[in-house]
Amino acid sequence: MSDRHTITEADLNAYLDGELQPAERAAVEAYLADHPADRERVAAWRDQSAALRALYGHVAEEAPPARLSPRRLAAERRRRMRRAVTAAAAALVLVAAGGAGGWIGRGLVMPDAVETTLIGEAEAAHALYTPEVLHPVEVNGQDGAHLSKWLSRRLDRTLVIPDLSSEGFSLVGGRLLPAAASAAALLMYENRDGARVTLYVVPNAGKETAMRFSARDGLAAVSWQAETLGCVLVGNLPRETLLNLAKASYGSLDKAPNI
Amino acid sequence: MSGFLDDIEALVPALRRYARALTGNADWADDLVQDCLERAIAKQSLWRPIGPLRPWLFRIMINIHRNDRRRRRGAPEPEALDLLPFEPASPAPQGARLALAETAAALDRLPAEQRQALLLVALEGMSYAEAAGVLDIPMGTLMSRIGRAREALRALVDGTGPRLRSVK
Repeated sequence: MSDRHTITEADLNAYLDGELQPAERAAVEAYLADHPADRERVAAWRDQSAALRALYGHVAEEAPPARLSPRRLAAERRRRMRRAVTAAAAALVLVAAGGAGGWIGRGLVMPDAVETTLIGEAEAAHALYTPEVLHPVEVNGQDGAHLSKWLSRRLDRTLVIPDLSSEGFSLVGGRLLPAAASAAALLMYENRDGARVTLYVVPNAGKETAMRFSARDGLAAVSWQAETLGCVLVGNLPRETLLNLAKASYGSLDKAPNI
Repeated sequence: MSGFLDDIEALVPALRRYARALTGNADWADDLVQDCLERAIAKQSLWRPIGPLRPWLFRIMINIHRNDRRRRRGAPEPEALDLLPFEPASPAPQGARLALAETAAALDRLPAEQRQALLLVALEGMSYAEAAGVLDIPMGTLMSRIGRAREALRALVDGTGPRLRSVK
Protein backbone atom coordinates (compact mmCIF):
# COMPACT_ATOMS: atom_id res chain seq x y z
CA MET A 1 0.00 0.00 0.00
CA SER A 2 2.91 2.34 0.66
CA ASP A 3 4.23 1.58 -2.79
CA ARG A 4 2.29 3.80 -5.15
CA HIS A 5 2.32 1.13 -7.84
CA THR A 6 0.16 -1.12 -5.73
CA ILE A 7 -2.75 1.34 -5.65
CA THR A 8 -5.64 -0.42 -7.36
CA GLU A 9 -9.06 0.64 -8.51
CA ALA A 10 -10.46 -1.10 -5.44
CA ASP A 11 -8.25 1.13 -3.27
CA LEU A 12 -9.60 4.21 -5.01
CA ASN A 13 -13.16 3.10 -4.36
CA ALA A 14 -12.41 2.27 -0.75
CA TYR A 15 -10.74 5.66 -0.38
CA LEU A 16 -13.83 7.42 -1.68
CA ASP A 17 -16.11 5.38 0.58
CA GLY A 18 -14.10 6.10 3.71
CA GLU A 19 -13.06 2.47 4.14
CA LEU A 20 -9.30 3.04 4.51
CA GLN A 21 -7.08 3.35 7.55
CA PRO A 22 -5.28 6.71 7.92
CA ALA A 23 -1.98 5.34 6.58
CA GLU A 24 -3.67 3.81 3.54
CA ARG A 25 -5.61 6.99 2.95
CA ALA A 26 -2.42 9.01 2.97
CA ALA A 27 -0.86 6.62 0.48
CA VAL A 28 -3.82 6.99 -1.89
CA GLU A 29 -3.70 10.77 -1.56
CA ALA A 30 -0.01 10.79 -2.40
CA TYR A 31 -0.71 8.59 -5.41
CA LEU A 32 -3.56 10.80 -6.61
CA ALA A 33 -1.36 13.89 -6.38
CA ASP A 34 0.81 12.34 -9.09
CA HIS A 35 -1.91 10.79 -11.21
CA PRO A 36 -4.32 13.36 -12.62
CA ALA A 37 -6.34 10.83 -14.63
CA ASP A 38 -7.17 8.79 -11.56
CA ARG A 39 -7.77 11.99 -9.61
CA GLU A 40 -10.35 12.94 -12.19
CA ARG A 41 -11.88 9.49 -12.03
CA VAL A 42 -12.31 9.68 -8.26
CA ALA A 43 -13.79 13.16 -8.59
CA ALA A 44 -16.29 11.85 -11.16
CA TRP A 45 -17.29 9.03 -8.81
CA ARG A 46 -17.73 11.52 -6.00
CA ASP A 47 -19.99 13.60 -8.25
CA GLN A 48 -21.99 10.48 -9.04
CA SER A 49 -22.63 9.82 -5.36
CA ALA A 50 -23.67 13.44 -4.91
CA ALA A 51 -25.96 13.16 -7.93
CA LEU A 52 -27.58 10.03 -6.47
CA ARG A 53 -28.19 11.80 -3.18
CA ALA A 54 -29.56 14.85 -4.98
CA LEU A 55 -31.87 12.64 -7.04
CA TYR A 56 -33.22 10.41 -4.30
CA GLY A 57 -32.30 11.93 -0.96
CA HIS A 58 -35.53 13.91 -0.83
CA VAL A 59 -37.59 10.68 -0.76
CA ALA A 60 -36.38 10.01 2.79
CA GLU A 61 -37.49 13.49 3.84
CA GLU A 62 -41.08 12.93 2.73
CA ALA A 63 -43.69 11.60 5.12
CA PRO A 64 -44.36 8.02 3.98
CA PRO A 65 -47.88 7.25 2.73
CA ALA A 66 -50.29 5.76 5.25
CA ARG A 67 -50.22 2.35 3.58
CA LEU A 68 -46.60 2.01 4.68
CA SER A 69 -47.32 2.42 8.37
CA PRO A 70 -46.01 -0.72 10.15
CA ARG A 71 -48.68 -0.41 12.86
CA ARG A 72 -51.41 -0.36 10.28
CA LEU A 73 -49.92 -3.31 8.40
CA ALA A 74 -49.56 -5.26 11.65
CA ALA A 75 -53.17 -4.52 12.58
CA GLU A 76 -54.39 -5.67 9.16
CA ARG A 77 -52.40 -8.85 9.53
CA ARG A 78 -53.87 -9.50 12.99
CA ARG A 79 -57.35 -9.12 11.54
CA ARG A 80 -56.55 -11.56 8.74
CA MET A 81 -55.09 -14.08 11.17
CA ARG A 82 -58.09 -13.84 13.47
CA ARG A 83 -60.40 -14.64 10.57
CA ALA A 84 -58.22 -17.61 9.60
CA VAL A 85 -58.14 -18.90 13.17
CA THR A 86 -61.91 -18.60 13.49
CA ALA A 87 -62.38 -20.55 10.28
CA ALA A 88 -59.89 -23.20 11.39
CA ALA A 89 -61.57 -23.55 14.79
CA ALA A 90 -64.93 -23.99 13.11
CA ALA A 91 -63.39 -26.65 10.90
CA LEU A 92 -61.97 -28.50 13.87
CA VAL A 93 -65.38 -28.64 15.53
CA LEU A 94 -66.67 -30.32 12.40
CA VAL A 95 -63.84 -32.81 12.50
CA ALA A 96 -64.60 -33.71 16.07
CA ALA A 97 -68.23 -34.19 15.16
CA GLY A 98 -67.77 -35.93 11.86
CA GLY A 99 -64.63 -37.98 12.33
CA ALA A 100 -62.10 -38.66 9.59
CA GLY A 101 -62.76 -38.87 5.90
CA GLY A 102 -63.37 -36.25 3.29
CA TRP A 103 -62.29 -32.66 3.43
CA ILE A 104 -62.20 -31.32 6.86
CA GLY A 105 -64.56 -28.43 7.28
CA ARG A 106 -66.03 -28.91 3.85
CA GLY A 107 -67.71 -25.71 2.85
CA LEU A 108 -65.97 -23.72 5.52
CA VAL A 109 -62.31 -23.69 4.60
CA MET A 110 -62.61 -25.35 1.26
CA PRO A 111 -59.23 -24.99 -0.40
CA ASP A 112 -59.26 -23.11 -3.67
CA ALA A 113 -58.76 -24.83 -7.01
CA VAL A 114 -55.02 -24.23 -7.06
CA GLU A 115 -54.52 -25.79 -3.68
CA THR A 116 -56.80 -28.70 -4.49
CA THR A 117 -54.70 -29.42 -7.57
CA LEU A 118 -51.59 -29.12 -5.47
CA ILE A 119 -52.84 -31.61 -2.91
CA GLY A 120 -53.86 -34.02 -5.68
CA GLU A 121 -50.41 -33.84 -7.26
CA ALA A 122 -48.73 -34.30 -3.89
CA GLU A 123 -50.83 -37.36 -3.09
CA ALA A 124 -50.16 -38.88 -6.50
CA ALA A 125 -46.43 -38.34 -6.11
CA HIS A 126 -46.53 -39.82 -2.63
CA ALA A 127 -48.46 -42.88 -3.78
CA LEU A 128 -46.11 -43.43 -6.71
CA TYR A 129 -42.77 -43.07 -5.00
CA THR A 130 -43.03 -44.10 -1.36
CA PRO A 131 -43.53 -47.83 -2.14
CA GLU A 132 -40.46 -47.74 -4.37
CA VAL A 133 -37.65 -49.81 -2.91
CA LEU A 134 -34.83 -49.38 -5.40
CA HIS A 135 -35.26 -45.77 -6.53
CA PRO A 136 -37.47 -43.82 -4.15
CA VAL A 137 -35.46 -40.67 -4.84
CA GLU A 138 -33.18 -39.24 -7.50
CA VAL A 139 -30.74 -37.61 -5.14
CA ASN A 140 -29.84 -39.24 -1.88
CA GLY A 141 -30.41 -37.43 1.40
CA GLN A 142 -26.75 -37.79 2.36
CA ASP A 143 -26.00 -35.33 -0.39
CA GLY A 144 -28.16 -32.67 1.25
CA ALA A 145 -26.20 -29.63 0.09
CA HIS A 146 -26.29 -30.72 -3.53
CA LEU A 147 -29.98 -31.59 -3.28
CA SER A 148 -30.81 -28.20 -1.84
CA LYS A 149 -28.78 -26.36 -4.48
CA TRP A 150 -30.20 -28.34 -7.35
CA LEU A 151 -33.84 -28.05 -6.31
CA SER A 152 -33.43 -24.36 -5.47
CA ARG A 153 -32.14 -23.71 -8.95
CA ARG A 154 -34.90 -25.66 -10.63
CA LEU A 155 -37.64 -24.10 -8.52
CA ASP A 156 -36.17 -20.62 -8.73
CA ARG A 157 -36.48 -20.38 -4.95
CA THR A 158 -34.11 -20.81 -2.07
CA LEU A 159 -35.05 -24.16 -0.64
CA VAL A 160 -33.84 -25.04 2.82
CA ILE A 161 -34.32 -28.79 3.22
CA PRO A 162 -36.22 -29.18 6.50
CA ASP A 163 -34.60 -31.17 9.24
CA LEU A 164 -37.31 -33.35 10.76
CA SER A 165 -35.02 -35.41 12.99
CA SER A 166 -36.57 -33.83 16.09
CA GLU A 167 -39.73 -35.67 15.06
CA GLY A 168 -37.84 -38.89 14.42
CA PHE A 169 -37.74 -38.59 10.63
CA SER A 170 -34.58 -38.56 8.55
CA LEU A 171 -34.21 -37.43 4.95
CA VAL A 172 -34.26 -40.19 2.35
CA GLY A 173 -33.69 -37.73 -0.48
CA GLY A 174 -35.52 -35.84 -3.15
CA ARG A 175 -36.54 -35.65 -6.76
CA LEU A 176 -37.77 -33.16 -9.29
CA LEU A 177 -41.23 -33.59 -10.79
CA PRO A 178 -43.37 -31.82 -13.37
CA ALA A 179 -46.32 -29.98 -11.85
CA ALA A 180 -49.34 -28.15 -13.20
CA ALA A 181 -47.70 -24.76 -13.45
CA SER A 182 -43.99 -25.40 -12.96
CA ALA A 183 -41.54 -27.87 -11.53
CA ALA A 184 -42.11 -29.42 -8.14
CA ALA A 185 -39.72 -30.79 -5.57
CA LEU A 186 -40.53 -33.96 -3.71
CA LEU A 187 -38.65 -34.60 -0.48
CA MET A 188 -39.01 -37.95 1.23
CA TYR A 189 -38.45 -38.71 4.90
CA GLU A 190 -38.52 -41.95 6.83
CA ASN A 191 -38.71 -42.85 10.51
CA ARG A 192 -37.20 -45.83 12.34
CA ASP A 193 -40.27 -47.91 11.65
CA GLY A 194 -39.98 -47.29 7.94
CA ALA A 195 -42.99 -44.98 7.76
CA ARG A 196 -42.49 -42.49 4.96
CA VAL A 197 -43.76 -38.97 4.55
CA THR A 198 -43.25 -36.75 1.55
CA LEU A 199 -43.07 -32.99 1.34
CA TYR A 200 -44.19 -31.64 -2.00
CA VAL A 201 -43.03 -28.10 -2.76
CA VAL A 202 -43.87 -25.82 -5.67
CA PRO A 203 -42.88 -22.21 -6.30
CA ASN A 204 -45.91 -20.12 -5.68
CA ALA A 205 -46.61 -16.44 -5.97
CA GLY A 206 -49.95 -16.64 -4.21
CA LYS A 207 -51.11 -15.61 -0.81
CA GLU A 208 -50.13 -16.98 2.54
CA THR A 209 -52.72 -19.40 3.82
CA ALA A 210 -53.31 -21.20 7.06
CA MET A 211 -52.49 -24.91 7.28
CA ARG A 212 -55.20 -27.23 6.06
CA PHE A 213 -55.56 -30.84 7.00
CA SER A 214 -57.32 -33.30 4.75
CA ALA A 215 -57.63 -37.06 4.65
CA ARG A 216 -58.91 -39.57 2.18
CA ASP A 217 -58.24 -43.17 1.28
CA GLY A 218 -56.06 -43.59 4.34
CA LEU A 219 -53.73 -40.83 3.20
CA ALA A 220 -53.54 -37.61 5.16
CA ALA A 221 -52.22 -34.29 3.89
CA VAL A 222 -51.36 -30.97 5.46
CA SER A 223 -51.11 -28.14 2.97
CA TRP A 224 -50.16 -24.52 3.27
CA GLN A 225 -48.81 -21.63 1.27
CA ALA A 226 -46.09 -19.53 2.77
CA GLU A 227 -43.70 -16.99 1.40
CA THR A 228 -43.38 -18.01 -2.22
CA LEU A 229 -43.74 -21.70 -1.70
CA GLY A 230 -46.77 -23.92 -1.82
CA CYS A 231 -46.27 -27.03 0.33
CA VAL A 232 -48.09 -30.28 0.95
CA LEU A 233 -46.97 -32.84 3.49
CA VAL A 234 -48.43 -36.27 2.81
CA GLY A 235 -48.29 -39.40 4.92
CA ASN A 236 -50.18 -42.33 6.30
CA LEU A 237 -49.76 -41.12 9.85
CA PRO A 238 -51.83 -39.93 12.79
CA ARG A 239 -53.03 -36.39 12.45
CA GLU A 240 -50.99 -35.07 15.39
CA THR A 241 -47.74 -36.49 14.03
CA LEU A 242 -48.38 -35.05 10.61
CA LEU A 243 -49.22 -31.63 12.01
CA ASN A 244 -46.02 -31.60 14.08
CA LEU A 245 -44.01 -32.52 10.99
CA ALA A 246 -45.78 -29.80 9.01
CA LYS A 247 -44.98 -27.18 11.64
CA ALA A 248 -41.33 -28.23 11.72
CA SER A 249 -41.19 -28.08 7.90
CA TYR A 250 -42.83 -24.70 7.82
CA GLY A 251 -40.30 -23.36 10.31
CA SER A 252 -37.32 -24.58 8.25
CA LEU A 253 -38.64 -23.47 4.88
CA ASP A 254 -39.42 -20.04 6.22
CA LYS A 255 -35.79 -19.50 7.17
CA ALA A 256 -34.83 -19.20 3.53
CA PRO A 257 -34.57 -15.65 2.23
CA ASN A 258 -37.42 -16.18 -0.19
CA ILE A 259 -39.96 -13.60 -0.71
CA MET B 1 -44.12 -5.90 19.40
CA SER B 2 -44.72 -2.17 19.51
CA GLY B 3 -41.00 -1.58 20.01
CA PHE B 4 -40.35 -3.68 16.94
CA LEU B 5 -42.92 -1.75 14.89
CA ASP B 6 -41.45 1.57 16.01
CA ASP B 7 -37.99 0.40 15.04
CA ILE B 8 -39.25 -0.63 11.62
CA GLU B 9 -41.11 2.63 11.16
CA ALA B 10 -37.92 4.59 11.72
CA LEU B 11 -36.39 2.77 8.75
CA VAL B 12 -39.25 3.29 6.32
CA PRO B 13 -37.91 6.58 4.90
CA ALA B 14 -34.56 5.00 4.04
CA LEU B 15 -36.26 1.94 2.54
CA ARG B 16 -38.37 4.20 0.35
CA ARG B 17 -35.35 6.18 -0.79
CA TYR B 18 -33.46 3.04 -1.69
CA ALA B 19 -36.45 1.46 -3.44
CA ARG B 20 -37.05 4.60 -5.46
CA ALA B 21 -33.47 4.68 -6.66
CA LEU B 22 -33.50 0.95 -7.34
CA THR B 23 -36.64 1.00 -9.47
CA GLY B 24 -36.78 4.60 -10.70
CA ASN B 25 -40.54 4.33 -10.26
CA ALA B 26 -42.43 5.77 -7.30
CA ASP B 27 -45.34 3.30 -7.30
CA TRP B 28 -43.26 0.21 -7.80
CA ALA B 29 -40.91 1.47 -5.07
CA ASP B 30 -43.68 1.87 -2.49
CA ASP B 31 -45.10 -1.53 -3.45
CA LEU B 32 -41.67 -3.00 -2.75
CA VAL B 33 -41.50 -1.29 0.63
CA GLN B 34 -44.99 -2.46 1.54
CA ASP B 35 -44.20 -6.06 0.59
CA CYS B 36 -41.01 -5.80 2.60
CA LEU B 37 -42.79 -4.50 5.70
CA GLU B 38 -45.47 -7.19 5.45
CA ARG B 39 -42.82 -9.90 5.18
CA ALA B 40 -40.93 -8.46 8.10
CA ILE B 41 -44.03 -8.33 10.30
CA ALA B 42 -45.03 -11.87 9.28
CA LYS B 43 -41.54 -13.24 9.86
CA GLN B 44 -40.96 -11.43 13.08
CA SER B 45 -42.13 -14.34 15.21
CA LEU B 46 -39.52 -16.61 13.64
CA TRP B 47 -36.77 -14.09 13.56
CA ARG B 48 -34.47 -14.10 16.53
CA PRO B 49 -33.46 -10.47 16.98
CA ILE B 50 -29.75 -11.13 17.26
CA GLY B 51 -28.71 -8.82 14.46
CA PRO B 52 -29.55 -5.23 13.66
CA LEU B 53 -32.80 -4.46 11.89
CA ARG B 54 -31.55 -2.31 9.02
CA PRO B 55 -29.57 -4.93 7.07
CA TRP B 56 -32.32 -7.47 7.64
CA LEU B 57 -35.00 -5.20 6.17
CA PHE B 58 -32.85 -4.22 3.21
CA ARG B 59 -32.10 -7.86 2.57
CA ILE B 60 -35.79 -8.74 2.54
CA MET B 61 -36.54 -5.88 0.18
CA ILE B 62 -33.75 -6.77 -2.23
CA ASN B 63 -34.98 -10.35 -2.33
CA ILE B 64 -38.46 -9.12 -3.19
CA HIS B 65 -37.00 -6.93 -5.88
CA ARG B 66 -35.12 -9.91 -7.32
CA ASN B 67 -38.27 -12.03 -7.44
CA ASP B 68 -40.30 -9.14 -8.82
CA ARG B 69 -37.85 -8.75 -11.65
CA ARG B 70 -38.01 -12.47 -12.26
CA ARG B 71 -41.78 -12.29 -12.42
CA ARG B 72 -41.63 -9.33 -14.74
CA ARG B 73 -39.12 -10.97 -17.02
CA GLY B 74 -40.62 -11.17 -20.46
CA ALA B 75 -42.99 -8.37 -19.67
CA PRO B 76 -41.72 -4.92 -20.62
CA GLU B 77 -39.66 -3.19 -17.97
CA PRO B 78 -41.80 -0.76 -16.01
CA GLU B 79 -41.52 2.77 -17.26
CA ALA B 80 -38.65 4.24 -15.33
CA LEU B 81 -38.86 7.74 -16.58
CA ASP B 82 -40.43 9.74 -13.79
CA LEU B 83 -36.91 10.85 -13.23
CA LEU B 84 -37.10 14.49 -12.32
CA PRO B 85 -40.61 15.40 -11.26
CA PHE B 86 -39.12 17.63 -8.59
CA GLU B 87 -36.48 20.21 -8.02
CA PRO B 88 -33.54 18.57 -6.31
CA ALA B 89 -33.86 19.34 -2.61
CA SER B 90 -30.24 20.32 -2.27
CA PRO B 91 -28.23 21.87 -5.06
CA ALA B 92 -25.95 19.36 -6.66
CA PRO B 93 -22.28 20.18 -6.56
CA GLN B 94 -20.50 21.88 -9.40
CA GLY B 95 -20.38 19.85 -12.54
CA ALA B 96 -23.01 17.34 -11.50
CA ARG B 97 -26.05 19.57 -11.83
CA LEU B 98 -26.61 18.90 -15.49
CA ALA B 99 -25.79 15.25 -15.07
CA LEU B 100 -28.65 14.44 -12.70
CA ALA B 101 -31.13 13.21 -15.29
CA GLU B 102 -28.39 11.38 -17.14
CA THR B 103 -27.24 9.76 -13.93
CA ALA B 104 -30.76 8.56 -13.21
CA ALA B 105 -31.12 7.16 -16.71
CA ALA B 106 -27.70 5.54 -16.58
CA LEU B 107 -28.41 4.02 -13.17
CA ASP B 108 -31.44 2.34 -14.64
CA ARG B 109 -29.27 0.71 -17.30
CA LEU B 110 -26.89 -0.91 -14.84
CA PRO B 111 -27.25 -4.60 -14.10
CA ALA B 112 -29.48 -4.92 -11.02
CA GLU B 113 -26.79 -6.43 -8.84
CA GLN B 114 -24.43 -3.52 -9.51
CA ARG B 115 -27.19 -1.02 -8.81
CA GLN B 116 -28.08 -2.78 -5.57
CA ALA B 117 -24.47 -2.70 -4.38
CA LEU B 118 -23.66 0.86 -5.39
CA LEU B 119 -26.82 2.33 -3.88
CA LEU B 120 -26.33 0.65 -0.51
CA VAL B 121 -22.96 2.35 -0.17
CA ALA B 122 -23.28 5.59 -2.11
CA LEU B 123 -26.88 6.45 -1.26
CA GLU B 124 -27.54 4.67 2.04
CA GLY B 125 -24.06 5.26 3.40
CA MET B 126 -23.55 1.66 4.49
CA SER B 127 -20.07 0.36 5.22
CA TYR B 128 -18.72 -2.29 2.88
CA ALA B 129 -19.16 -4.86 5.65
CA GLU B 130 -22.83 -4.01 6.18
CA ALA B 131 -23.62 -3.87 2.46
CA ALA B 132 -21.88 -7.20 1.84
CA GLY B 133 -23.95 -8.66 4.66
CA VAL B 134 -27.17 -7.32 3.16
CA LEU B 135 -26.38 -8.82 -0.24
CA ASP B 136 -24.93 -11.97 1.28
CA ILE B 137 -21.80 -11.76 -0.85
CA PRO B 138 -18.09 -11.60 0.03
CA MET B 139 -16.61 -8.15 0.52
CA GLY B 140 -14.41 -8.56 -2.57
CA THR B 141 -17.45 -9.25 -4.73
CA LEU B 142 -19.18 -6.20 -3.31
CA MET B 143 -16.18 -4.00 -4.06
CA SER B 144 -15.89 -5.24 -7.61
CA ARG B 145 -19.61 -4.61 -8.21
CA ILE B 146 -19.28 -1.09 -6.86
CA GLY B 147 -16.19 -0.45 -8.96
CA ARG B 148 -17.87 -1.72 -12.12
CA ALA B 149 -21.03 0.26 -11.38
CA ARG B 150 -19.09 3.49 -10.99
CA GLU B 151 -17.09 3.03 -14.15
CA ALA B 152 -20.19 2.06 -16.13
CA LEU B 153 -22.08 5.09 -14.83
CA ARG B 154 -19.18 7.33 -15.72
CA ALA B 155 -19.01 5.95 -19.23
CA LEU B 156 -22.75 6.35 -19.71
CA VAL B 157 -22.97 9.85 -18.28
CA ASP B 158 -19.86 11.12 -20.02
CA GLY B 159 -21.44 10.07 -23.27
CA THR B 160 -18.64 7.66 -23.93
CA GLY B 161 -21.23 4.96 -24.25
CA PRO B 162 -19.24 2.43 -26.27
CA ARG B 163 -16.71 2.29 -23.46
CA LEU B 164 -19.32 0.56 -21.39
CA ARG B 165 -18.57 -2.52 -23.39
CA SER B 166 -14.98 -2.51 -22.31
CA VAL B 167 -15.91 -2.30 -18.67
CA LYS B 168 -15.54 -5.79 -17.29
